Amino acid sequence: MRQSSNTFCGFVLVIATLISLAASGLANSAVETSPEYQVKAVFLFNFAQFVEWPPQSFEDAAAPFVIGVLGTDPFGSALEGAVRGESINGRSIIIERYRSVTEIRHCQILFISRSEAAHTGEIGAALAGHSILTVSDIDDAAQRGVMIRFVAENNRIRLRINADAAKAAGLSISSKLLRPAELVTSAG
Amino acid sequence: MTMILLTSGAVLLLTSASFVAHEFLTFRYSTVRNLSTLGQVIATNSTAALAFDNAKDAAEILTALKAEPHVVSAGLYDSAGRLFAIYPQGFKSGGFPQRPGADGYRFEGRFLVGFQPVLMGQRRLGTLFLKSDLGALFDWLRLFSGIAAVVIAASFLLAYLISRSLQRQISEPILALAQTAAAVSHGRDYSVRAAPVQGHELRLLTDGFNHMLERTQAQLSRLDLLQKITRAIGEGQDPANIFRVVLQRLEDDMPIEFGCICLHEARDDHLTAGTVGARSMPAAASMGIAEQTRIPIDDNGISMCLRGQLVYEPDVREVPFPLPQRLATAGFRSLVIAPLLIESNVFGMLIAARRAAGAFTSGDCEFLRQVSEHAALATHQAQLYSALQRAYDDLRQSQQTALQQERLRALGEMASGIAHDINNAISPVALYTESLLEREPNLSERTRSYLVTIQRAIEDVAETVARMREFYRPREPEIVLGRIHINRAVQQIIELTRARWSDVPQQRGIMIELRNELADDLPELIGAESEVRDALTNLVFNAVDAMPNGGVLTLRTFLLGSQRVCLEVNDTGIGMDEETRRRCLEPFYTTKGERGTGLGLAMVYGMIQRHSAELEIDSEPGKGTTMRLIFTLSVPDTAASGLVPVLVPPQSPLRILLVDDDPILLQSLRDTLEGDGHSITAASGGQAGIDAFAAALASGAPFDAVVTDLGMPYVDGRKVAAMVRAASPTVPIVMLTGWGQRLVADDEVPPHVDRVLNKPPRLAELRVILAELTA
Repeated sequence: MRQSSNTFCGFVLVIATLISLAASGLANSAVETSPEYQVKAVFLFNFAQFVEWPPQSFEDAAAPFVIGVLGTDPFGSALEGAVRGESINGRSIIIERYRSVTEIRHCQILFISRSEAAHTGEIGAALAGHSILTVSDIDDAAQRGVMIRFVAENNRIRLRINADAAKAAGLSISSKLLRPAELVTSAG
Repeated sequence: MTMILLTSGAVLLLTSASFVAHEFLTFRYSTVRNLSTLGQVIATNSTAALAFDNAKDAAEILTALKAEPHVVSAGLYDSAGRLFAIYPQGFKSGGFPQRPGADGYRFEGRFLVGFQPVLMGQRRLGTLFLKSDLGALFDWLRLFSGIAAVVIAASFLLAYLISRSLQRQISEPILALAQTAAAVSHGRDYSVRAAPVQGHELRLLTDGFNHMLERTQAQLSRLDLLQKITRAIGEGQDPANIFRVVLQRLEDDMPIEFGCICLHEARDDHLTAGTVGARSMPAAASMGIAEQTRIPIDDNGISMCLRGQLVYEPDVREVPFPLPQRLATAGFRSLVIAPLLIESNVFGMLIAARRAAGAFTSGDCEFLRQVSEHAALATHQAQLYSALQRAYDDLRQSQQTALQQERLRALGEMASGIAHDINNAISPVALYTESLLEREPNLSERTRSYLVTIQRAIEDVAETVARMREFYRPREPEIVLGRIHINRAVQQIIELTRARWSDVPQQRGIMIELRNELADDLPELIGAESEVRDALTNLVFNAVDAMPNGGVLTLRTFLLGSQRVCLEVNDTGIGMDEETRRRCLEPFYTTKGERGTGLGLAMVYGMIQRHSAELEIDSEPGKGTTMRLIFTLSVPDTAASGLVPVLVPPQSPLRILLVDDDPILLQSLRDTLEGDGHSITAASGGQAGIDAFAAALASGAPFDAVVTDLGMPYVDGRKVAAMVRAASPTVPIVMLTGWGQRLVADDEVPPHVDRVLNKPPRLAELRVILAELTA
């Protein structure tokens, strides 16, 4: 398995508004969530529909489906809003927030916040061997081994997927998810 | 044929229509299914695009619909109902519904539209809109309909060809058969036959039909023959005629080659050949059968037939009996004997034969049996009819005779009464005249001559009265019998009547030729010649009267056999019709108007009866009349004693009682008898006579004789005679009567009376009787 650490694939455009929103979000995260993260929250939930986890990734059959956020939470209450009343394959959905990668016990989808941009290498190493779908909007995240990266493009959010990384984690991503996405491989 | 075509066309049409309908429905259903499948696939593929808000990707997914040309447009709406992606690219968004409609697929005009939910797990991400053009479906339907039409047309043509061929094979022969049947039934021509055809079943049908026609024709011709025979039988009146007609018909029309009808009398042991058919005569002659030939009956077919059975011998050569063998020798082989039955009695047989063996079918036999029945019935009826006719004729004859006798009897009674009165009236004249002539010697010649004339006239009157009184009587025992020389009588009459048949007609320029054809050596007859002469005179007069324009009068005598003499008076005059001929013998029946008395032929008839002779009348209007008197020669039982006047010597005086209710007669009789010297007591009635007789007996001076009248009021002559006889068994009783002959005829001499004397009494007769009785 190759870690996504080397090449820079593509460019990232950060809209000024988005940045400002993110800045304000950082400043006052608990109160207001930017539309960008509201969309991303929904997308996070949507990933559960297109990815299959191996059974051992769950503690038991009744274990909840865990969506975790690592680092500074940009979603505010948007994530809770996105999963409210939903379930995935009969599993209830819970949202967990982690300050450090070590806190992670059972988790299926892990959003790596921009605050962790400096630690992507560590995080990747820590999560190796765990069937956790890693998602992030950090630049070059995909090349650095994060499986899915949100890319802002023409005022829309696009996906950039590192299918090799997902495969290495024992996850199978539906081709449907691959269609609207841009595929990348781990750099370096 | 039209029916076949219509039927097959309807079947084809229905099949095609249901097939098309089925295909249409199936196609619609599959189209919906296809589109919904497509929708599901697209929707499923679109989930990610919708989930991750990738319109471009969604549009790309929709572009895949290019592979389905019938999908004319498609659109993807997001969960908020906004149009998210469209197909084809650049299609005007106005062509899409503003908002997604209800889920599902529906037909709108020539399009199929559908809204397919796009689901991600339980979540609805949006709606896929698809619009499919069904032009393809309609193209397909058109194609399919076209194929169906072609198939139908082809099938129709095929059906037409097949039915034509079938018609030629089946319908045409059957139609021909039907036409033949129609021709037979309309034209009543049973000789028509259906034409033979190919094919086993049809040939069977045609043959059966023809066979039926043959049988019908045969039956009809027999029926016709039977009817002809029956009609012919109805016209024949006697059995022989009927048999001849039946045989002729059978020979001509059936036909048979030998026909003969034999008759059988009950209890006879043979048949009698009655009538042989005209054409069968030669064969019959060769067999020795002619009319009246006897055919013996033995234990053979004939005896079976006698029991009422029809006998059929298919081959007479194998039948060892006389009649079949006889037929075999004449060359006949098959024989039918049918009984002629009346009330289960076989009175004859119809014998029919043909030269071929087994030539009579059961139908022929049955027919002959029917003919026999008809012939028997007709014969029976003819016999009944002739018996009835005979009985009727007899009855009419008897009725005529009875009528005539009754008439004569009535006339006789009347005549008898008149005679009685006349005789009573002329009795005194007769008695006194006779007495005067006898006892008055001093009479002048002239007086004597007058008295003789009176006496003759009285005798004539008496005789006339007697004849008139008696012409009805069958027999005249007191007829004055004598020997009659018939030829001499004829000669006398020719002379006596010359004036009537010669002189009088000649004065009127009429010629009557008289011929006499008298046989020589005729024996003499016994009878009253005067009566015969009178009768002959009457006949000659009648003959002359019957020839007002002249003619030939023939008097003929001849011997008829050895015991009968015939006297014929024949004229060539006007003759008599049936009515006249029947009534001419009746008294007072005349065709001569005022000139005739109607008694002439009645007198003749009376004479005939009294002489036990016969009278034959042959007459026909315009052809003259022959009156034939036939006398039978017989030995007369009473010899011609005649009235030989016996001169009785003067008698000793007697005491005589005279009883009569007629005072003049009583007086005249008394006077004349007293003139003879007798002592006379006259009693003017029956009771007075009885009283007088009793008184004389009581006084011891009884009468020597009693002379009493018969017909008297209160106490008649019979009673007087009875009383007198009771008082004195021996005294002679003489009865005087104007009815003398009738009395004798009716009940002979009344009891107790010794002698009957007719009025007017002749003195001479009375004298003889008294002398005899008192001797």
